[in-house]
Amino acid sequence: MSYAPTPAALQKIEETIALYPERSAALLPVLHVIQDRSGFISPEAESWVAGKLGILPVRVREVVSFYTMFRRSPGGRSTLQVCHNVSCALAGAEDILRFICEKLGIAPGETTPDGAISLVTVECLGNCDHAPCLQVDGVDHGPATPETVAALIEELRAHA
Amino acid sequence: MNGKRQIGLTIDGLKVQAAEGTNVLRAAEEAGIAIPHFCYHAGLEVEGSCRMCLVEIEGLPKLDLACSTVIREGMVVRTSTDRVREARKDILEFLLAEHPLDCPICDKAGECRLQDYYDRHGLTASGMVEPRERRDKKAPIGRGLILDRERCVLCTRCVRFLRQVTGTGELGIFERAVRSEVGIYDGVPVDNNYSGNLVDICPVGAITSGDFRFKTRAWFLARRPSVCPHCSRGCAVVIESVSGYPLANGERRVYRVTARENPAVNGFWICDLGRDGRHDIDDGRHGAVMEKGAPLKGLSWQKALADVAAGIRAVPGPERSAKVAVILNSRLTCEELALAKGLFVSGLGLGNVFFADRKPGPADSLLLTADRAPNGKGVLDAGFSPRLPGLGDLAAAEVLLLFGPHLLEHFGEEEVARALAGVPSKYLFAAHTGPLDRLADTVFPVAVPAEKSGTYINVEGIRQPFACAVRPPFGVVPEGAILSCLANALGFNAGDADGR
Amino acid sequence: MPENGVRLLPVDDDSWRLEAYLRRGGYETARKVLTSMAPADVIAEVRQASLRGRGGAGFPAGVKWGFVPQGGAAPKYLCVNADEAEPGTFKDRLVLLRAPHQLLEGMLITAFAVGIRTAFVYVRGEYVRVARRLEEAIAEALAAGYVGPHVFGTDLGLDVVVHHGAGAYICGEETALLESLEGRRGQPRVRPPFPAVVGLFRSPTVINNVETLATVPQILARGADGFLGRGLPKDGGTRLYCVSGAVRRPGTYELAVGTPLRQIIEVHAGGTPQGRSIKAVIPGGLSAPVLMPGEIDVAMDVDSLARAGSMLGSAGIVVIPDGTPMLDVLHATARFYAHESCGKCTPCRIGTAWILKIVERLRRGGGRPADLDLILRLADGIRGRTLCPLGDGAAMPIRALVTKFRGELEQAVLR
Repeated sequence: MSYAPTPAALQKIEETIALYPERSAALLPVLHVIQDRSGFISPEAESWVAGKLGILPVRVREVVSFYTMFRRSPGGRSTLQVCHNVSCALAGAEDILRFICEKLGIAPGETTPDGAISLVTVECLGNCDHAPCLQVDGVDHGPATPETVAALIEELRAHA
Repeated sequence: MNGKRQIGLTIDGLKVQAAEGTNVLRAAEEAGIAIPHFCYHAGLEVEGSCRMCLVEIEGLPKLDLACSTVIREGMVVRTSTDRVREARKDILEFLLAEHPLDCPICDKAGECRLQDYYDRHGLTASGMVEPRERRDKKAPIGRGLILDRERCVLCTRCVRFLRQVTGTGELGIFERAVRSEVGIYDGVPVDNNYSGNLVDICPVGAITSGDFRFKTRAWFLARRPSVCPHCSRGCAVVIESVSGYPLANGERRVYRVTARENPAVNGFWICDLGRDGRHDIDDGRHGAVMEKGAPLKGLSWQKALADVAAGIRAVPGPERSAKVAVILNSRLTCEELALAKGLFVSGLGLGNVFFADRKPGPADSLLLTADRAPNGKGVLDAGFSPRLPGLGDLAAAEVLLLFGPHLLEHFGEEEVARALAGVPSKYLFAAHTGPLDRLADTVFPVAVPAEKSGTYINVEGIRQPFACAVRPPFGVVPEGAILSCLANALGFNAGDADGR
Repeated sequence: MPENGVRLLPVDDDSWRLEAYLRRGGYETARKVLTSMAPADVIAEVRQASLRGRGGAGFPAGVKWGFVPQGGAAPKYLCVNADEAEPGTFKDRLVLLRAPHQLLEGMLITAFAVGIRTAFVYVRGEYVRVARRLEEAIAEALAAGYVGPHVFGTDLGLDVVVHHGAGAYICGEETALLESLEGRRGQPRVRPPFPAVVGLFRSPTVINNVETLATVPQILARGADGFLGRGLPKDGGTRLYCVSGAVRRPGTYELAVGTPLRQIIEVHAGGTPQGRSIKAVIPGGLSAPVLMPGEIDVAMDVDSLARAGSMLGSAGIVVIPDGTPMLDVLHATARFYAHESCGKCTPCRIGTAWILKIVERLRRGGGRPADLDLILRLADGIRGRTLCPLGDGAAMPIRALVTKFRGELEQAVLR
């Protein structure tokens, strides 16, 4: 089973590659294009990207495994990121995390059985004046309270 | 000096000179001062990651890396102050914390940098009580190589070698932080003709060769320099052997052939063909003189050679040129070739002196040459115009001296048998058993290059003398001894051999 | 409040658009510079203004620009470091959201000064909305001719490419950023050579923080002395101070360099909430050694904080209130660096992981006071020995926490 991007994705990928003087420099943005659509980077996608950029697949695997945002296996439709660094911890991130784990019935690193939500703890999201901070689907949420979190989870489940 | 300006600096109080552009580590090395290091290798680009080579450089507040600091005029370097030792001890302690205590079962023991440095810095047990990262200890990565990820110190020499030297890039570093590990891509193992160098350059026992694993201990090995005979590059090698017990009839075994540095010829590396050549030294060897296909214990080669001389003398002088044929090869040393020329060409006046060598193979872009014989240039230098014999040349001979088995690379066994059927006296001088054995009247067991002393001239015309690196088994002799003895038996003074 | 009210950051979220920026005089400084100044004079002006880098290292920007060899056929690059990930820091986010054109104008002036035609903005992967806003601003500027070929009708062209990171704090380090931009793991390079000579795609490269570049127009608009005068002699102008933690008004404050820390916390950020007091303050992002309540009268400039045994860093101020278990702070700190270590060099890779393992054991209840000494010893083993400043950034705050809160930590361990 090999990987092939949709025509739209392929166009985006080629536009991206054209921005860089060396094709291999487009690796991170191209992986983002693929993961935004597929949710993760499969070994087939790795091989495809390697061929497209003229680099060895091992180089793609090196990058995918180095950066926290790239997933190597499918996750939930949404990934709920909870910051546990100092400013957020001071604002009660641990409690919020515990609340989320109970509500979703999973631990950090896991995905809900219905496939809607993956939960991860993350380091500083750069939004500390809104601590405790969450991010999901590219949108920052904070300050998180049990009420706002419950509503957020509802919304995520509804869209799954 | 190769035209580079010499820079003067002081290292540990010693005034030294080194070429402009040299790094401190190399300059120190050249002056006889060893600075501990893992990731640095003169054949690879500087990485600066192990942090072991930190030294004091006067005028700079922090310790600096010797490997990445280029020497400047008047620089003052100190490699052994308390501060420097402290730093090294700390680095070693970090490495020890995540390193398994495998020494009793690790092949690298006895030649391991980690072990050596621990020893020198008085470290024995790790101070870390937390659980170590547990990783795969037996990951096959290709070409018989095994990766032990717990032992790996992430010096990245292996990764860099495959990227910068072979350009094949099979290895990468995956994950991040302490979870970082060396690995291959699924289904894309290390697969190139230089994979064996990975074992040589790994400073610890992380990459081991399946060929050598658990077979012996480094400190049992006698290591002697030699020159690789498997192509015309003539890479500098080390033959590593154990002579065996008991002394007289004990099995000698060559365990490894490793790379030796020679800037003029092979740099730091040798190819896998040369490494695999260790089998050539031990396997399938003739151990005794054979008559009519059967080994004859108790018959010395000197006695057998007397028959050869008699056979040659039996051919009347004027007819010898046409009726005595000799097939030499380009594995003979320059000295042996000189003896052969003196005996067969100048002395006996033979016209039918031929050469049969291994057929050429594919060359690569690094070291391996298409010519798979080590001394082709030596043959020319000795004044020969080498040519392959025709089957007719073989058939027409009354006495045939065949040095080496490579005739069968050029002709089929059947046709050679037919050609030789009518030759009254056929003598084979070969190191390894083979199909030609049954066709010869007498087979003389000869030495392989690792067992000889002599000179080869490599593809670029570089003359390389080498000395015997392993003693040949009892009864096995170098061709040189055979040629001298034959010359003497025929009444020529071997010392009068033409040329040298 | 800065004197004469010239702000870098608009207070609302709508003034970012080009038309609003133009109305408040946007791009006029760049026009003046590009059409009437010599590049060398621009560099001299910025050097005179003592603009210290606002990313964390505090290196003078004008000096850095001067390292780029002039002339030569090789292309030169400008990399904008928008990989803001130092915990406690969120000012670059705001610059990108509220003043993207000011950043672009600063980039234009910088490119002109150094002879650069292509700029990459490396935005951390998590700043999704932020990157989108920047891309919109670039599109506006491109359409209006403020970036792209022939800016202001001169033969200076500037291409701007927004490049997204993918979650790695280490990519905020200059050479790791370059590696990441070139499509590789974000692992720092051995220096020398320095990026000014061998940088992106092996070409001379200037790397500056978002806020640093966004400050450049102010310097060229008002002159070096005007800028310098608003701050301190060796550390000019105003800068953006982030405040988070136990304060009434967490946020970003644009203040004169050298404003006392206490003033920022108590006057601008409203002080601690009713009934709470300050237990400790991190003055410059998590990598800055913690300060005790008695130490917060320090002036918030690079040199004063260095003298106080800490650092201004990214100016991310985190106020830790009474009652906070410092073992938890130590844990969050150790966990951060162990997670973000790139793994290239020995002391950071193994040292940060080892320290975290010890702290985790202390939290679980299996520790002794001697473990605190071990943590200090390991921190000292990392300090000054690593390939990049992340090692020091881990070692220094960890050492400060263990030393300054030794008593409390010992109690926590013994319990």
